[in-house]
Amino acid sequence: MTFNIPPPDILLQLSLNGALGGAMYGVAAVGLSLIFGTMRLIFLAQGAMIILAAYFVRALFYGLGIDPFLSLLIVVPVGLGVGWLMYQGLFRRAAAAEDRNISLLIAVGLMFLIQNLMTVIWGGNTAAVVTSYTASGIEILGVRTSFTRSMGFLIALAGTGLVVLFLRKTLVGKAVRAASEDMEAATLMGISPHRVNAIAFAIGIALAGAAGVAVATTFPFNPFAGFIFSLKALVALALGGIGNVAGALAGGILLGLIEAYVQYFISGGWTNAIAYGVFLAVLMFKPEGLFSRPYKKA
Amino acid sequence: MLKQTWPKQIWTGVAVLVVAALVLLPLLPGAIDSYAFSFLFFVFIYAIMAQGWNLVAGFGGQISLGNHAFFGLGAYTTAILWSGNYLWGSLYEAYPRIYYFDPVTMVLGGLVAALAAIIIGMPLLSKLRGDYFALGTLGFGEIVKVMFINGGDFTGGAFGVVAPASTFDTLLPHYLVGLGLMVGVALAIRLLMRSRYGLALIAVRDDEMAASANGIDTLRVKVAAFAGSAFIAGIAGSLYTYYLFHVGPDSVFDLDWMLLPLMMTVVGGTGTLLGPILGAFVMYAVFDLARIVVPDYHPVISGLTIILAMLFLPKGLMRSFGGRVRA
Repeated sequence: MTFNIPPPDILLQLSLNGALGGAMYGVAAVGLSLIFGTMRLIFLAQGAMIILAAYFVRALFYGLGIDPFLSLLIVVPVGLGVGWLMYQGLFRRAAAAEDRNISLLIAVGLMFLIQNLMTVIWGGNTAAVVTSYTASGIEILGVRTSFTRSMGFLIALAGTGLVVLFLRKTLVGKAVRAASEDMEAATLMGISPHRVNAIAFAIGIALAGAAGVAVATTFPFNPFAGFIFSLKALVALALGGIGNVAGALAGGILLGLIEAYVQYFISGGWTNAIAYGVFLAVLMFKPEGLFSRPYKKA
Repeated sequence: MLKQTWPKQIWTGVAVLVVAALVLLPLLPGAIDSYAFSFLFFVFIYAIMAQGWNLVAGFGGQISLGNHAFFGLGAYTTAILWSGNYLWGSLYEAYPRIYYFDPVTMVLGGLVAALAAIIIGMPLLSKLRGDYFALGTLGFGEIVKVMFINGGDFTGGAFGVVAPASTFDTLLPHYLVGLGLMVGVALAIRLLMRSRYGLALIAVRDDEMAASANGIDTLRVKVAAFAGSAFIAGIAGSLYTYYLFHVGPDSVFDLDWMLLPLMMTVVGGTGTLLGPILGAFVMYAVFDLARIVVPDYHPVISGLTIILAMLFLPKGLMRSFGGRVRA
């Protein structure tokens, strides 16, 4: 294996595409981060929800002719509602239980259920959303990239930005942050854990919806593609620091960069192993994440 | 309380009767060729895996999400040794054919898995607690899988390793070995949990700080439980290789080998001795029934069953009906 330093324009191309693609992991990770923060639950079904949203977007496009990016206006509110109902119906009781395996397993059951319902409804084959602008590209900093990838990046930025604003500026957001830091203390201050959990879930699933739009427009997908998204989102979460929402997006972008570089310099077969290797290393040596400052001891 | 001692004896009695019936089953005419036979074989494999997960998670309190990696390591070890391609000259001549159901190979499969668990467990368990450990083991499983896909000739790449199939003509040895291992593992864990070590493990699970203050080397106890769990998973993987004659990264490193035993343990009763076995019987029966009755929808039914079981039976069968509160 020769290790030539590639010309700068290729490096730039790699970095841009890696970062743009990684933003998708980031937006999934933001959702995971909220749910993990309040409920301490590894919500493994997040990826399946993303793919479900992608199928939903596809159905809206081919069934009703609604543009995928426009369908954000439908997918995100539906996601909020579904997330809320999902918490109330499935996780409310388990959240109170001491044994957290129960919530984890409900998430796993949900993942099985969604994956296979999608297979029953839409078949197991790869699906895609092809619009008039799917093949078009745009130029950023003299480097060409696809229009849909850039839109996905914008969606990720906007979604994360909105969540950060919500957490910082609203009282409810403050409650969610308090609960993430210390649920017991938050409960003593009069914060209802169920309400906070439900809000985290609603936003988490709404973000899965937004990620679904980005996935549907950028990649071909199939019912079982979600699990790898869940794993990547977990990696992004760990890189960014669990409980750090903006860090989750940054972690996703970083993961996208790592993958792009590994793919170019080493080989596509090793991308996952190296991504998880970085994940393990971060968990072990900097479990608070790469971008977080310990805000507790401010 | 007196009330609590009764159900335990009842469960033991039932367990002995069931094992006796299972041992005698092959004597029944036609039983060996029946569907129930292969069904039970799979229940045994899952019960062994579940018991392994229960050791580290139920008794040890460390949620491992990487047990499928140990299953795969045991399976690959067995296939590579058994197919004999990679054993160099003199050793291979001194020990010419690694036989079918060779106990040495099976133990080696378990040891390789246990070794991997010690190597990964030392840093993970010393640094990570709770959810972080679970995440770490999940990442570890994926790394091992990718390593085997990229392992070249040694691991057969994405295709895997094929073992010589010439010796297979009946499922009977698989059934008996599986049954023996299931019972043996359960007995070993019972013995272990009554020893000093078992008490230390429970102490670490319930209050690590207090255990440490009382002179227990908590890291050693946790790593040992993780390695024991991996050893059991490796043996199960070895058993599976003898059944399938082929190991591939997608089959033996499938996440199902971690998720299903986990689910069976929780449904049966985490931290109880018979819970994992009971859970394996019940859950595999549900899945298999769904597969036969509604073939197109069976994974949907499986998912639904998990959710319903967790919503309405969160404590597990053993502790909901068995009467014992904590192991």
